[in-house]
Amino acid sequence: MSSVQATRPAMNWRTISIYGGGLSALIVLFFVSLCYGEAAISLHTVWDALTGRQNTLEHNMIWDLRMPRTVIGIIAGGALAVAGALLQTITRNPLAASDTLGINAGAYFIVVLGTILFPGLLSQSPFLFAVLGGLVAAFAAYFMGGGRRSSPVRLALSGMIVSMVLGSFTSALHIFFSMETQGLFLWGSGTLVQNDWSGVAYAWPWVIGITILALILSRQWDMLELDESTASSLGQKVGLARAGGLMIAVLLAAVIVSVIGPIGFVGLVAPHLVRLSGVRSNRLLLPGVFIWGAALLVGADVLAKMVHNSSMELPTGAVMAIIGAPWLIWLVLTRMKAANGSGMSTSMSTGAPSRRFAFGPMAVLFTVITVALILLSTMFGGMRIPLGDLLPSLFQSDGLFSALVQLRIPRTLVAAGAGAALAISGVLIQMAVRNPLADASIVGVSSGAGLGAMMVIILFPGLPVYLLPIAAIVGAAIAAVVVFSLSWKKGLNPSAVVLLGIAMSAIAGAGIQILIVRGAVYGSSGYIWLTGSTYARTWDQVKTIGIFLLILVPVAWWLARRFELLVFDDNSASGLGLSVRRTRLLAMTTGVLLAAGAVACVGTVGFIGLIAPHMVRLLTGHKLRRSMFLSALAGAVMLVLADTIGRTVMAPTEIPSGILIAIIGTPYFLYLMYRSNWRKSV
Amino acid sequence: MKKGLKGLLIMFAFVLVLAGCGKANTTTDTSKEVDSGSAPAEETAGPVTVKHKRGELTLDKPAERVVTLEWTYTEDVVALGVQPVGNADNANYKVYVSSEAGLDDSVTDIGTRGEPNLEAIAALKPDLIIANADNNNAVYDQLNAIAPTIEYDPYDGDGYNYDKMTEIFNNIATALGKEDKAKQVLDELDQHYAEAKEKLAAAGKENFHFALTQAFTYQNAASLRMFTDNSVVIGTLNKIGMVNDWQPEKVEGYGFSTVGIESLSDVQDSNFIYITQPDDDVFGTAMKDNSVWNGLNFVKEKRTYQLDSTTWTFGGPISSKALVDGVVEVITK
Repeated sequence: MSSVQATRPAMNWRTISIYGGGLSALIVLFFVSLCYGEAAISLHTVWDALTGRQNTLEHNMIWDLRMPRTVIGIIAGGALAVAGALLQTITRNPLAASDTLGINAGAYFIVVLGTILFPGLLSQSPFLFAVLGGLVAAFAAYFMGGGRRSSPVRLALSGMIVSMVLGSFTSALHIFFSMETQGLFLWGSGTLVQNDWSGVAYAWPWVIGITILALILSRQWDMLELDESTASSLGQKVGLARAGGLMIAVLLAAVIVSVIGPIGFVGLVAPHLVRLSGVRSNRLLLPGVFIWGAALLVGADVLAKMVHNSSMELPTGAVMAIIGAPWLIWLVLTRMKAANGSGMSTSMSTGAPSRRFAFGPMAVLFTVITVALILLSTMFGGMRIPLGDLLPSLFQSDGLFSALVQLRIPRTLVAAGAGAALAISGVLIQMAVRNPLADASIVGVSSGAGLGAMMVIILFPGLPVYLLPIAAIVGAAIAAVVVFSLSWKKGLNPSAVVLLGIAMSAIAGAGIQILIVRGAVYGSSGYIWLTGSTYARTWDQVKTIGIFLLILVPVAWWLARRFELLVFDDNSASGLGLSVRRTRLLAMTTGVLLAAGAVACVGTVGFIGLIAPHMVRLLTGHKLRRSMFLSALAGAVMLVLADTIGRTVMAPTEIPSGILIAIIGTPYFLYLMYRSNWRKSV
Repeated sequence: MKKGLKGLLIMFAFVLVLAGCGKANTTTDTSKEVDSGSAPAEETAGPVTVKHKRGELTLDKPAERVVTLEWTYTEDVVALGVQPVGNADNANYKVYVSSEAGLDDSVTDIGTRGEPNLEAIAALKPDLIIANADNNNAVYDQLNAIAPTIEYDPYDGDGYNYDKMTEIFNNIATALGKEDKAKQVLDELDQHYAEAKEKLAAAGKENFHFALTQAFTYQNAASLRMFTDNSVVIGTLNKIGMVNDWQPEKVEGYGFSTVGIESLSDVQDSNFIYITQPDDDVFGTAMKDNSVWNGLNFVKEKRTYQLDSTTWTFGGPISSKALVDGVVEVITK
């Protein structure tokens, strides 16, 4: 990818083919897109409408419904692709794009927030909001990922985490303001549907203007691809070019998000396609990228329209993810030799290097806090039944008997158990992937489990409820098997596992989006489940999570010594006589199963697997058994706390625990990232 | 911090008071029944048995304290002259459901339809819970542990059509011991249909062809729920002799197809009746200058009719009455 080729652009046959191929694909797709729609219109009529418009219903449909949709597809696809190409150049990172850096998610979050808070202001200038959100997200992802020193994988990871955080905030807004944001739902997964030309009229001057500006400045971007020492001798100019490039990319992405919502993978795939042809100079690269991005997105939209059945439109963004994610997988499998091994070797040392507190007192303290919180939660949790009524109910067998024993105690125990399972799973997966930013959601397991469960909820609503956890576990297992078997040849290399996990998450996430849109007739319950909920958990779930913990925790405990050796890099670990691959597989399998059990019980709660191990690592050292023990307690405390707050604050309305975890955990997590990246170097 | 604690205490006190009120109500209710036990001989006081999705439920005596978890059943209960003790999402009920099926202030809000608050329900000490299989399937066992629970799946089989509506209404009436009231409501409704039919005939609108939609905006594009024959709204309008022209190729389980504006060309020679929300007036604002919308025959020939925003399209007898009233008014104007 970074090999220096002839920088002087030659109009060779590959360049011509990439332009010619892209243009002809775009033209064909343009016509196909105009032919597909709800009303049946023949190609002949389309041609008539294009050559001589008359005031007939069919011609009006072509010109004022289908054309704006197709044209916005071309503009958006092109803009996102150019933004992706620029971001890849300025970060020198082949995985950068406006979606992987969290820009789309940031812009979208702010637009949704604006819709609720300042609807008037927003309708005047959604663009400004989107730019602001996109910029903040890009900076957060960039600095969390370690700034200039970040490796591709690290940047992709931090971008994904930023997207996750913002995504859960957006989910919170959708749930709390369901009526206000109802119309935004389809948009949230990216749609090209247009009513008229207003979206195009608003977007095209920006997109064309900024793209031309990017072209004029193409020499500046070429300069950024020089190696670091040459570039640094150019000094300030490089910094300025980087900042300018980032600004241009964010502007492009923000315009698009404010019109069609967040759509991923175009910015990742299109530049790679064009670069495959060997085009290097940005003057040639950027127009090619624009054409291919446009063709990709229009193509995805045509597919979305083809699948359309009369019940609901398929979101274009979801189709794009299904097309784009395999590309990412292919990229990882064929092009990732350079990223192997390097890049993550020191990352496990995130957090304080040495332990500062003795383990004994910490263990006692954590245990006391956990037990106390669980007791408090069962006693004072819900405000709807006074304690005076509850306590006697323990000793009599009628009336409110069920309230404490059947309602409060089980959900608190499930929260504790699932929190602990998620935290231990996080410890194990971070160990195995040798990356402090990993957890079950990053290796694709949570999304897989979510997809499995959503299938049961939406496609087969008649099935018995106990199939839900089974479906979640099957989904998680399939996701894990796919990710692990694809990365097996890479020796289960951490970078490969994480990137394949991201691709897997994208595919499963697209599947979930499709299911939600299909099932969104009444359906907020499925959506709430996805954000992670401890609502109405019963003793059945207590048993489920209990079984998982009872079997898997001793296994992890027993294997802990072996797992600890995974901290070292692969060579020294195998030098110590360890079958690295097998040990890593064992650790990951244990972690994945624990996470699957938790997801089966409380839905896709994120962050606990990320945060709890961090917190503990900061307090004590690297001893796996100790950190497993403390993390489990920390995870339990977090989820019980979220459950208690969630069912109390807005009673009778419940706040999903997963959202509370995200809201509680995000500031802490950002602080931690900041610390780990900057304190060390100072 | 202190403020929060104070808030909690106030809330706590409030809950205590509420719980107290609840108890007081129960006692007065029962005493009333004892007093007037012999007066209305028609009211059944003995055990009642109702069929529902999960089989049969037998209650020792008809239910009095009912909690409803879906607006359709709330409306059924209100139509029977009973106010539920608890209902899901009171605020939006008032936005979407006809004010003819109004809720008293005494009805406790028990949270969202998707995740009703189980503790709040338990605190109301209901003697019957009416749940919806779409939303509440997973919590059925817990609801049943709080109080006997009946559950309906309106979209099972061929959708929530008119027969299904009356069947569920009669079922709920049985559980509440109000079968006579139910018969009366449905008879009056039939009478009402006959009158409406006459009004249409008088205005020369018999066998009125139409397409009915509930429309809202997705992003800035119109999304239309076109109702099909297996929906309760179309069933209702058939009763007054109207003819639905929206005939999709496949059966829609929920009783409507979701389409965009292009599809309207199929029914452009019909009459177009629509429901939109005041803050999302799709056809008034978004579509005003759209060439496709303006090119549709029913727009050109001014055959579009707007219904009140609180026309609840998945309701019971009261909603059907409100729908008929609304439709007759707009098309005979």
